[in-house]
Amino acid sequence: MSIDRRKATIFGSAAILRLLLFTAFPGLPDLLTARVEISTPVTSFKRLQEGLFLYNHNVSPYDGGVYHQAPILLPLFSLLPSSATYPAFTYLLYILVDLLTANALMQIAESGEAGSSKLYTSPRKDKKWSSYAIAAAKLKEGINDMDSFLFNPFTIATCIGRPTSVFTTSAIILSISKAVVGKSFTSMFTLSIASYLSLYPLLLFPPLVLLCYDRRPQNKQAGSIYTFVAGNVVAVAGFLYSLLHMSSFITGGWEFLESTYGVQLLLPDLTPNVGLWWYFFIEMFDSFRNFFLGVFWIHLSSYVPGLTIRLRRQPLFVVVVLLGIFAIFKPYPSISDTSLFLALLPLYRHVFPLMRYSFLATSTILYATLLGPAFYYLWIYAGSGNANFFYAITLVWSLGLSLLLADALFAVLRDELEVERPEMKGKEIRQI
Amino acid sequence: MLRRGCEILSRARKAPYEYRPRRAPFPTLTHESFITLLALAAMRQLLSLLICIGTLVAFSSASNASEYHEQLLLRPLHPSLLLASFNFQSNTSLASFDQQHFKYFPRSLGQILQHANTRELHLRFSLGRWDAESWGARPWGGAREGGTGVELWAWVEAETDEEADGRWLTLTNALSGLFCASLNFIDSTRTTRPVMSFQPTGDHPNSTFSDLHLLHGTLPREVVCTENLTPFLKLLPCKGKAGISSLLDGHKLFDASWQSMSIDVRPICEAGSDDCQLQITQTIDMVLDLQRSKRPRDNPIPRPINQEELKCDTSKPYHSGDTCFPLDTASQEEDWTLSQIFGHSLKGTCPLAQDGIDPVCINVPHARHVYASEGVHEHKDATGYMRCFELSPDKEFEIVLPHQEISEKAPLEQPLLYAERSFIGYGQERGGVQAILTNPSATEAVDFVYMESLPWFMKLYLHTLKAKINGLDEDIIKEMYYRPALDRKRGTQLEVRILIPANSTVVLTYDFEKAILRYTEYPPDANRGFDIAPAVITIGDVAIRTTSLLLPLPTPDFSMPYNVIILTSTVMALSFGFVFNLLVRRFVAVDEADQWDVRAVRLKVIAAVTAFVKRFRKKKKVEKKE
Repeated sequence: MSIDRRKATIFGSAAILRLLLFTAFPGLPDLLTARVEISTPVTSFKRLQEGLFLYNHNVSPYDGGVYHQAPILLPLFSLLPSSATYPAFTYLLYILVDLLTANALMQIAESGEAGSSKLYTSPRKDKKWSSYAIAAAKLKEGINDMDSFLFNPFTIATCIGRPTSVFTTSAIILSISKAVVGKSFTSMFTLSIASYLSLYPLLLFPPLVLLCYDRRPQNKQAGSIYTFVAGNVVAVAGFLYSLLHMSSFITGGWEFLESTYGVQLLLPDLTPNVGLWWYFFIEMFDSFRNFFLGVFWIHLSSYVPGLTIRLRRQPLFVVVVLLGIFAIFKPYPSISDTSLFLALLPLYRHVFPLMRYSFLATSTILYATLLGPAFYYLWIYAGSGNANFFYAITLVWSLGLSLLLADALFAVLRDELEVERPEMKGKEIRQI
Repeated sequence: MLRRGCEILSRARKAPYEYRPRRAPFPTLTHESFITLLALAAMRQLLSLLICIGTLVAFSSASNASEYHEQLLLRPLHPSLLLASFNFQSNTSLASFDQQHFKYFPRSLGQILQHANTRELHLRFSLGRWDAESWGARPWGGAREGGTGVELWAWVEAETDEEADGRWLTLTNALSGLFCASLNFIDSTRTTRPVMSFQPTGDHPNSTFSDLHLLHGTLPREVVCTENLTPFLKLLPCKGKAGISSLLDGHKLFDASWQSMSIDVRPICEAGSDDCQLQITQTIDMVLDLQRSKRPRDNPIPRPINQEELKCDTSKPYHSGDTCFPLDTASQEEDWTLSQIFGHSLKGTCPLAQDGIDPVCINVPHARHVYASEGVHEHKDATGYMRCFELSPDKEFEIVLPHQEISEKAPLEQPLLYAERSFIGYGQERGGVQAILTNPSATEAVDFVYMESLPWFMKLYLHTLKAKINGLDEDIIKEMYYRPALDRKRGTQLEVRILIPANSTVVLTYDFEKAILRYTEYPPDANRGFDIAPAVITIGDVAIRTTSLLLPLPTPDFSMPYNVIILTSTVMALSFGFVFNLLVRRFVAVDEADQWDVRAVRLKVIAAVTAFVKRFRKKKKVEKKE
């Protein structure tokens, strides 16, 4: 079983690399936990520790301004030995979650959904990367090394920094991996967990349900799309309802709703992060704050119907693009969200040659990656820069990511065009 | 005249049950209007009666507890500092207070207390830092002291928490007006309800005790100044016109190295009886720099001492005409007089202070020369370190302490606990707080409650709270109460009960994160930082405080809200444009698309115009046909 050996090698080396980083640099986990690029108020590991401490001492963590994460994490982490005394258990848990995610990612790649969905087959589908390359960072074609998962520095930093967003990431990838094989029930369940953990994955429901519909098993082909969607809406609502009820049972009340989802919706905590919201709402005039909160959320969700309708034939790509949009425009983004987007993007390796600005986008992202921490240091520690330094870098970062995203979208649409009109292949095109 | 005065007094003594001011001859201080009509001259004459009836007062029954009392205690501190403690205390019966009969109790404050259902009140205005290492224990053991700025705590009677909050709001707003202080800024984020700290000092009946709500608020940023002193003096029966309060002057008080003004109102009941009194105690403590105070007011700039006046150590080998090693001045006592320190001498006694206690005392060894003005009786204490002065009522009082070389000093009282608190860490993102608490006693363990009330933007991580005793990790936290902050709604409240053994040092540390605020939430001088209220350490019924801290928060650029809104919106519009441009427009080959050169534009425009003209003509034709 040479293939399994390959998988074992990749997974093993990824686990060993992480373990090595955890153990060889004992200060690294706490250093990365404290980074604003990795930890946000809604995912920070340090805040999780505080929540756990309060939970274990019978103080409601939701009656305070520090802990804004889902209630289910509290009993789960209470089962683990304290990370202050036995950090190894926490390290192993996070490594395990990363490997699970990578495994699910390989299943998505192996399904070939990216190259040929039910309604569409790309003429370039044979140029895809192997699932190993996507799960690991096998640089087959020798291009940029960020399109990968297990060996992506963003993913590694996220794993070492231990934000709880890795659980959301894992749940989203698992949900997609179940959807591409048509297991709609499991897919909807994992999607519910992801939404329960961080709210925004709920917006992935339309493309995911279409993906499930396209890939549903042969014996269940009967029934219209409407009944299928309605069934899944009921399923997701039921899962969410039971999860929330369980949470209120755990915490003994409903106040967690305001402290978790309320914080995501209303942004009371303006801690800097790589996104666009924090500085905008620091500087926003009080009377317009609620209006712009509405605008930002509507903007975030406005992409869902547009992309789902236009790319009906490739729902998986809609999911990928939406994850990229979330990584830019959600209230508390971190590089963990970016790593999720960059992990899924190589599924569309076959359309990369159609991209026009890949060099520009890549260099913009690299530029922001390197200058971001430097400018943050200048603002917060050295005092020789002000908030605008870091803000400017978040703008560049967001622009770079949206350029990459738009370019990938262009490539996929161009690919579709070449199926409709094969004579256009290689010709210069224009939009009207 | 003399006979009349005596008559009044004897009548009052005959009917002690009838509510009537015992010292009726002092008109301005009672609220009976007919007496206020008495001329000032008459009052002067009546004053002279006092001496004749002084003995009578001394014989008055024990139940007639002293109703007004004032005393000034002077204590020189090393090096060349002077602690002046003013104490004013008056009592009124609770029954008459409830009938709006205030007597010596200030009416303005009394009505506020009645309106806000406040049963016990403590208000503090403080500035500066008490240097316990060299000044010893605090005056009054720390019981009359507040944290930097303004501190207020009160027991409010209310049935529910909401009602208590409403009355607290009433109280703070009314006191704000009364004392010209920003007490109205004590909102929900600055109010705590201490659980273990602060015990009521008054006697409250058991029936109402369960309805009493303790509320505590601090304003560490408030700058205490003259506008707070003036209303403070107005509450006194002698209003700063006579007696020791005539020494109080804003210029000197707020020039002090450390000062604290306090007002305490509490009910006191005799054990086993319903005879309750309401007691108001006002104190002012200040540590004055003697040399600084002695500078003339019209020429306050310090100047170098003339060379010939320098006291040099001549035993040093390098001593010469142009080099000087200053001599240790510890054995030299500074010379000062009361009028030098306070700007003017004491203007007689307050005629209402009738308890026979000497109004001015000074805590110096008996060997120290102290000269008082004429007609003053000096009483020396048996301990050897205290002497008090009995003043003549209408003469100015002055004491002079000449320059003297004396090694004997009045002993310093050791404080119960040394406490200091500081920030650790660096950067504007996060930090830590370290509190060092030392028990200096060689034998006694100290049980205390350490209370922090932090603003919400200082996000405390309780799981990082560590207590080390003498450098070792030991579980010395006996009890803890924690109420986490809610963003923009309430602050953090942390109370920790610690037992610190004799001769030990406890170091408390915890981490916090600095929140970044909305730009309208920063004060105008945002980069100065935010004042963090002192920690309150309650030991039994005294509370001592650490200093306040200055917390710098990360600041946004205040000058560019429009730029940020525009730039962020641009990035969002660009991404939106990128995506939706691709989604809604169709791809065609370049040669299929319209060429947009000048000719094409011209042709298009012409076509559009002709089409319009044609349609217009058609319409006209149709109209003509009709």
